[in-house]
Amino acid sequence: MFERFTKGARAAVVMAQEEARALRHDHVGTEHVLLGILAIDTGPGARALGTLGIGFEPARSYVAGLGAAHDDALDADALATVGIDLAEVKRAAEESFGPGALDRPHKRFQSGHIPFDPTAKKALELAVREVIQHQGKEINDGYLLLGIVRGEPNPATATLRALGAEPGAVREAVERELRNQAA
Amino acid sequence: MDNGVQLAEAAGSKDPATGLRAVRALRELAERLEALQVAAARDQGWSWEAIAVLLGVSRQAVHKKHAKGRKDR
Repeated sequence: MFERFTKGARAAVVMAQEEARALRHDHVGTEHVLLGILAIDTGPGARALGTLGIGFEPARSYVAGLGAAHDDALDADALATVGIDLAEVKRAAEESFGPGALDRPHKRFQSGHIPFDPTAKKALELAVREVIQHQGKEINDGYLLLGIVRGEPNPATATLRALGAEPGAVREAVERELRNQAA
Repeated sequence: MDNGVQLAEAAGSKDPATGLRAVRALRELAERLEALQVAAARDQGWSWEAIAVLLGVSRQAVHKKHAKGRKDR
């Protein structure tokens, strides 16, 4: 599947894995592919995001926040949304079972390879479909982005929305850049 | 700040990111409390059967999940 990828698109996918590892996430998702595209910053996809004012740093902080949901750490904020005071639960547990009673029994170590999650795989497949539809020759980061947008809703489109870019606007911006590149 | 109102608003949030994150956090918390309580019950001489009944799962399930690493498995 990767043989038709441009250098930039390949680099973005590799960078997606690096980002997932750096953020200590247990999967590579569409959100990391988005970060990869922004980090490599070459090609119509990155340019389209640039025209929409989407920068790497704000995207990364948003994705890091998403990661809290994937982290095994006890999520006090999330528990608070359903009325549970984690500090109080901890206090009660430690009163009965001693200090650190609620701490994770054993830390899972981060293995070398972080797998792509199904949504990210789907987005890569959709990128291939986009390139065929647009009669493109190779899969650049613009098609990766179109694949992500077509696969919505996913964490990447949630990130884009949070930064003020609706998926439809992203698609238009990418298609404009693809036309510019062809011209 | 009225914390009760804030909580009610968050719990009623239609944003799946908020709701799903809460579910995950609840599950993780439940897992840890379960590990803690099962270990304590075993330390006090409870049978796997008795623990399973109270947890509402099969004896096999609770044994498979918690016996590992215990000397009294």
